[in-house]
Amino acid sequence: MVHARGIIEEFKKQGVTHVVGIPDNGSRGLYEVLWEDPEIEVVLVSREGEAYALASGLYLGGKQPLVLIQNTGFLEAGDGFRGTAYNMQVPLVMLMGYRGYKTMQPDAPRLDTVASFFEPTLKAWDIPYTILHTDDDLPQIAAAFQKVAEISKPAAVLFTEEIT
Amino acid sequence: MLDKYTCLKKMAARRTDEVIVSTMSVAMPWAELSDGPLDFASVESGMGHAADFAYGLAMARPERRVITLNGDGSTLMCLGTLVTMAQRPLPNFTLVITDNGTYEVTGNQPVPGAGLTDYAAIARGAGLQRVHTIEDEEQFDQMLPLHFEGEGPLVIVWKIERGNEPVPKPALPIHERAHRLRQTLVGTD
Repeated sequence: MVHARGIIEEFKKQGVTHVVGIPDNGSRGLYEVLWEDPEIEVVLVSREGEAYALASGLYLGGKQPLVLIQNTGFLEAGDGFRGTAYNMQVPLVMLMGYRGYKTMQPDAPRLDTVASFFEPTLKAWDIPYTILHTDDDLPQIAAAFQKVAEISKPAAVLFTEEIT
Repeated sequence: MLDKYTCLKKMAARRTDEVIVSTMSVAMPWAELSDGPLDFASVESGMGHAADFAYGLAMARPERRVITLNGDGSTLMCLGTLVTMAQRPLPNFTLVITDNGTYEVTGNQPVPGAGLTDYAAIARGAGLQRVHTIEDEEQFDQMLPLHFEGEGPLVIVWKIERGNEPVPKPALPIHERAHRLRQTLVGTD
């Protein structure tokens, strides 16, 4: 399990100014704490492709945005991601909910196909990623910020359970 | 109907230090008038994402006016951006929608709803309050200062004549345009 307050502390260490995205069941606990936090502005968008465009604008304007969406929205956002954050070489960290992660286990009754599409898509699109499973993994957020600074393009941090 | 080239020339003559984000059939005509560090051609950038990108710029730089010259087809590709703009209103943002009912740079195929869609009504329905439609040059001349000085978020629909612009090809690749803009706005790359 990963806790919202630990994630937000990591955001603050990295100087995150804006979280751009759309809440879902996995991220709602994080959004709820973020909405109460005066140091980081939450910007809701109508569709996930907008998140990458808006975050890219924020970055070019001197801010430190982070995109927070679900993997379903990431798939929908393909060309928005490619055309803005990727093509503009924005060092953007995206925190993405890994919906369906547990349905990929052999004994799961039914596969949520977004899970089986997700990591192959990240690899095909040349996006480095790591996975948060517990609070012990929180340092991976800092590592992702370091990574995007090195490569001048986006990287992802995935979470597999509801953030509480 | 408006002639977009006339409108753009008047915009360029009036413009001082605003960021201008252009796209599709307006991008190259604008670049011929101005292609400096505060001009950003949203080309090779995901069609439909000029306005939301520009909105992020305006959010980051509240001291500076950001004007987006968007198309009707581009607006249709990301209509939700109008709602995003309404829920977080930015006084320094102007969105121009050039409405000629076609995908001009691919040969003037009609956009969905060509001749039927009222973009101003959609913008108002999204919750935006300062919305205008300009149909002729006299109106344009009267409203030219509004583009630069009016409290935003402003949506201004230009009803323009059909044209024959080819696919835009900016001089610099997009990442160089992006980093030039960042360097100008922020002073760092």
